[in-house]
Amino acid sequence: MNYMCKNIDELRAMLDRKAVTSDLLFQEAIERAKQYQEAYNAFVTIIEEKKEQDATSILSGIPYALKDNISTKGILTTSSSNILKNYMPIYNATVYQKLESAGAVLMGKTVLDELAMGGTGTTGHTGIVKNPWDSSRQIGGSSAGSAAAVALGIVPFAIGSDTGDSIRKPAAFGGIVGYKPTYGRISRYGLFAFASSLDHVGCFARNVKDVAYVINIIKGEDPYDMTSLPDDNKNYVDTLENEIKERKLFYIKEAFENYETSEDLEFKETINQFFKTVEKVKELGFIVEEVSFPKELLSAIYPTYMAISCAEATSNNANLTGIPFGVRGEGNSIHDVMMDARTKGFSELIKRRFVLGSYILQKENQEKLFHNARRVRRMIVDKMNELFEHYDGMLMPASGGIAPIFGEKTDQLSDRYLILENHLAIANFGGFPSITIPSGFVNDMPIAVNLTGRQFEDDVVLNMAYKIEEITDCKDQIAKGGK
Amino acid sequence: MPTKEQLKEYAGKLMFDMKEEEYDTLQKEFDVILKQMEFIEKIEGIEKVKPMTFPIEIGHAHFRKDEQKNTLATNDALKNAAMVEQNQVRVPKVVEE
Repeated sequence: MNYMCKNIDELRAMLDRKAVTSDLLFQEAIERAKQYQEAYNAFVTIIEEKKEQDATSILSGIPYALKDNISTKGILTTSSSNILKNYMPIYNATVYQKLESAGAVLMGKTVLDELAMGGTGTTGHTGIVKNPWDSSRQIGGSSAGSAAAVALGIVPFAIGSDTGDSIRKPAAFGGIVGYKPTYGRISRYGLFAFASSLDHVGCFARNVKDVAYVINIIKGEDPYDMTSLPDDNKNYVDTLENEIKERKLFYIKEAFENYETSEDLEFKETINQFFKTVEKVKELGFIVEEVSFPKELLSAIYPTYMAISCAEATSNNANLTGIPFGVRGEGNSIHDVMMDARTKGFSELIKRRFVLGSYILQKENQEKLFHNARRVRRMIVDKMNELFEHYDGMLMPASGGIAPIFGEKTDQLSDRYLILENHLAIANFGGFPSITIPSGFVNDMPIAVNLTGRQFEDDVVLNMAYKIEEITDCKDQIAKGGK
Repeated sequence: MPTKEQLKEYAGKLMFDMKEEEYDTLQKEFDVILKQMEFIEKIEGIEKVKPMTFPIEIGHAHFRKDEQKNTLATNDALKNAAMVEQNQVRVPKVVEE
């Protein structure tokens, strides 16, 4: 029996009527994880022994996976970096603690791009993560293993983190749902910080209702995280069926300029399908309109993200010295020991990003690069908030195409790259709730739409996403590799 | 465009080193990144905008109550250190003779 391909409602019903036990589900989850490990490499750690629990909740007894940058007491947590390859946390992250208290069963820690800095799933210290729809392609990152584990039907849900698009992009490439809530909605205590002003905890599942179940459990204020929000005391599952007629959505005109004449057929087909989805969304009762967004702001999303995230990352990762924890370096002085630990412990890509962060923070560059990036951030967020005065959400393709083939070159100065491959970071700039929903296929690979809403309106975004999911025919899908 | 020497200096400030060929790759990367950064500079009226730090404006600071709480136990704090002596993390001698 293939239980792990079922959704949370189905698993809950089977557990409650004792048609299956939690032990059996756990067993199946780790067997499937091992079966697919060599081909896709979703896990850093597969947990062999099930921890007994006696809590009762919608998630009790159901296995799930956590990204390996989330602290789990007594369970190896590496952040997929050599410098932390031996790190055994001595405290639990709040998100893990909440899932433990709800009786959900952790079955593994998933591979990420090293220290969550990357979008390809190729930089983790235990190897690359492959796409379960086509192993010659990326699943995307940084929450690569969590996305693969859900797409493969190893677990019904997994936890990730999202600083620029690290949940919502791999969800799109994996044909599953990925959600990043309002900034502060979920505590980040125990999440290894990458860029604190952009970092969010969120989750993957194979349908919107399952996402709502999980977020209900893990949201709420946390005295250990000063940026966490007071709980909105809303049950996101209860509002999924709310009426959406007259809800207004927009898409950005400048993102699709000249797509009809493009020679890139995958790109063209992805956008054609997006517009077909828009028509179906209108048939549901939504009003969807095209709006104009200043092109110079759209082109500045990626450099703004890079400037802010790399600058914050250099500071956040200064604690990785190999002395109080992590892999100890060699040398005759503290300086040499730290230099050796960091030189050997970080991969080349991480070092390049740190040097960029350092460059941006040099006194002579701060005003031009760092502060100006923070100014652009405000301009983009202000423009979004202006649009949100008239619209309930922004509907866009999650990417301009399908998952890239490993080694594929991209023109990083093209409009398509700068806008369509990076607009998801807008939701991190403004802390807006944002969800990716699979919407169809191009060349047998999944494509997706992304819906981003107003700050604090997680219930509205999930409600609208739930309705849009109805017309996609992609609900509860399992990747080809997991069948 | 930063020189290779400058890049080495920045890496040194961050307490790591890179291989020569990695600095070459980094210089090529800077070429693209600085072109992307130009998109930021081109934005009109940018100088009048207040830089944004956090997505949610925090009107007041939250202070914890001044209550004594359990702190990390010594044995927990030392669990991940590679070298420990007399309940402390051991490092190379700091004071030179």
